[in-house]
Amino acid sequence: MSRSHTGTAVRMQRFLEHWGVLVAFVLLFTVSAFKQGGDFLSIENFRNLLNQNAAVGILAVGMTLVIVSAGIDLSVGSMVVLAAAVGTTAMNALIEAGWSEPSAVVSGALITILAGTAAGALNGALIVFGRIAPFIATLGGLAAFRSIALAIAEAGEIRSQSPTMFSALGRGGIPLPFAENSAGKALTLSWSTVIFFVVAIVAQWFLSRARFGRQLVAVGANETAARYAGVPVAWIRFRVYALMGALAGVAGLVQSSRMNSVSTAQLGLGSELDAIAAVVIGGTSLRGGFGRIWGTVAGVLILGMITNILTISGVSPYWQGAVKGAVIVLAVLVQRGSRA
Amino acid sequence: MELPSVKEVGAAARATLPRMGVRGVTVEYPGVRALDNVTVDFMAGEIHAIVGENGAGKSTLMKVLSGALTPNAGELLRNGEPTTLRGPRAAIRAGISMVHQELNLVATLSVAENVLLGREPTFLAGIAVDRSQQRERARGLLAMLGAKMDLDRAVSELSIADCQYVEIAKCLASEAQVLILDEPTAVLGEHEASKLLQLLRRLRDEGRAVLFISHHLDEVVEVADRVSVLRDGRLVARFQRNAMGVLQAEDGTMATEDTLAQAMVGRELGSIYPPKGSAKPGEIAAIELIEFGAADRSRDVSVTVFPGEIVGIAGLVGSGRTETAEAIVGLRRPVGKIRVAGAERTFKHPRAAMRHGVTYVSEDRKGRGLHVSLSSVANMTLPSLDAFSQFGGARIDAVAERSVVTRWINELAIRCARPGLPISSLSGGNQQKFALARWLETRPNVLIIDEPTRGVDIGAKAEIYRIIAALAHEGLACIVISSELPELIGLAHRVLVMRQGSVAGEVTREQLAEPGCEERIVRIASGLRAERQENHE
Repeated sequence: MSRSHTGTAVRMQRFLEHWGVLVAFVLLFTVSAFKQGGDFLSIENFRNLLNQNAAVGILAVGMTLVIVSAGIDLSVGSMVVLAAAVGTTAMNALIEAGWSEPSAVVSGALITILAGTAAGALNGALIVFGRIAPFIATLGGLAAFRSIALAIAEAGEIRSQSPTMFSALGRGGIPLPFAENSAGKALTLSWSTVIFFVVAIVAQWFLSRARFGRQLVAVGANETAARYAGVPVAWIRFRVYALMGALAGVAGLVQSSRMNSVSTAQLGLGSELDAIAAVVIGGTSLRGGFGRIWGTVAGVLILGMITNILTISGVSPYWQGAVKGAVIVLAVLVQRGSRA
Repeated sequence: MELPSVKEVGAAARATLPRMGVRGVTVEYPGVRALDNVTVDFMAGEIHAIVGENGAGKSTLMKVLSGALTPNAGELLRNGEPTTLRGPRAAIRAGISMVHQELNLVATLSVAENVLLGREPTFLAGIAVDRSQQRERARGLLAMLGAKMDLDRAVSELSIADCQYVEIAKCLASEAQVLILDEPTAVLGEHEASKLLQLLRRLRDEGRAVLFISHHLDEVVEVADRVSVLRDGRLVARFQRNAMGVLQAEDGTMATEDTLAQAMVGRELGSIYPPKGSAKPGEIAAIELIEFGAADRSRDVSVTVFPGEIVGIAGLVGSGRTETAEAIVGLRRPVGKIRVAGAERTFKHPRAAMRHGVTYVSEDRKGRGLHVSLSSVANMTLPSLDAFSQFGGARIDAVAERSVVTRWINELAIRCARPGLPISSLSGGNQQKFALARWLETRPNVLIIDEPTRGVDIGAKAEIYRIIAALAHEGLACIVISSELPELIGLAHRVLVMRQGSVAGEVTREQLAEPGCEERIVRIASGLRAERQENHE
């Protein structure tokens, strides 16, 4: 009844608004530990969790920035497959043209990221200069980018022609001292996980400490006020979509090198939903103007753990979507206070 | 002490009955007592004004009355009986409607739909909206207010004044017996404001209790039947109109703008306008507008402003003042020419204008001037962020940022204990000082400031006037746009009067010092003939 007083319920609500995602993380962690016993708490299990979710994590970090700007990008999954298809095709062509493997792989990787950036820049141009709502413009991208990738490979698979280096990027990593897997071999922290962490840390820095982040928050909180304050609104918005594209390229690189091939029909399919879900679970407001990368990282891991628990408990994959959906809605309900 | 005296009870009986009231109401927020044992009655058939500085507790009292807040102690009375209101909807059902400063209209719906929002006349057992009856009832309600407008127009296309009529019509649709208005005239020009006050009188004469908050003390003296003055959450003075029509306190003090202001701040105020310095003509003009205007909104505005000069721009709301200013800094498409320090310029963006020392402080502090959800620091440094950026923008120098914020807090006497908190936690006056400081930090040569004291209490007003005068004294060229004529007259060296998108006249420094100058400006602004003005003199 006393809405403006700080009662226990209100304090609880505020606490959950801010820290709910961590509470959920710890809760799931504990459940997982009981469910899977010692296996779960092994370093190997964590490594696998991070490995499996690194690509979606990279997308979710970029999506956080897009959503902070009060936008949305539905095309990320299709950008992943387009970037990977273009990059891998280019790499194969270079190898066939007689380039050395290292230079072909490095060029292919750069082309993958550039292709993603180009797709993102196209989204940005349509949104900023074409004045198309982000939802619509990137919905177009969702359909178009995958279709281009399918056309390139005639809906099939693009196999990497790189004998070793490309897959080494996907499967190799930094050796972890004192850690070995169940088979007694030394464990490595994969490059994809390293890239995910670096991307997250840099993004968090940019969001809270750099000019771009400050201006991004200002645009997302109130675009008109940002324009009145002399913020280059169009340029900021354009850049965030281009950056999203670049990160989709990075995610594409991570995925294609892990598989050592690109399945144009499958790669990145539906990952826009996972990325958006992670952002929302992490407490970033869909209205824009507020966001936190660490929340998104926690959101990614929460989704990953849920999938693991459900799989281990023998829940049919058909039901897993329903559980994830419930978690997303629950997260929004808990965090809907002052912000969301 | 808070109980009504015998004399007051007599007066209350005469003025029919107390429609609504509070007894010993106290509201505490963490660390603040927003209302402290306040007792006051609101009579049917009376206009009751609540005045006080920002933070005095006016809004809190309104929230209690409109059911948005439950007090920690004390009770709410309706028709003399204790009552509780669980939420604003319950208040509306009980016949209490509030018109907020930020109007609560659905921009995409039509006038008729908004007026009857939530009480649409229906047929087919409530399934379908009876559009013709909806229009008919909306027309009737608006006619009662004396407002004529197209019922099918979307509210987003209406002026603020018309929106306010729609909002009031909405209250009448809910058969409100108690009408609470939060600073209804703050966003209106002189002409619209006087029409609105007229309307409040009519609503009162029909037997409603009308409550309003206002910072415009002249209005209060003019229309209120009773005035309650709040200071630091306490009711410190009340005035009541006696049989002779004079608004006075129990001790016989007559209510004037001065005595009300004194009661509000608890001390005597000197003149709130600082002495006018002299402009420096002969030097090169800071800014020159030549047949300038905002495309489709204004034209043929020619004015030269020298360093140290304060030029006022008066005019009714909608006369193109704001649009012209926005066109100068590139927020709208301009027509005509601008010369800045002698060189011809066109600005495509406020950023470009800023680089050449031309800045604009918006009239719409909450919507455009500031980011209310962001911290005071972020707001303060947003326009000048480049100056704090290191490594090509990869890092903002947070230490330098803090020290600049602290410097402005000291320089402009901003009350802001924690600059890291959202700026919405500050009072209007302190927010306005930040809105001004963020542009001063860009070291402008020309400052265009639109409604510099809107929604700002009288103490902060005086300070803002002093700041503007001091800036001009240091050589800043200022253009002050305002709907408050006393402000323009007290502050500006000369005043341009705009009407229907162009300059209708200019009032010189000598004329500003003459009595009757306010009337002269109103006449020009509303297009009345100047000869009558001369006869009048």
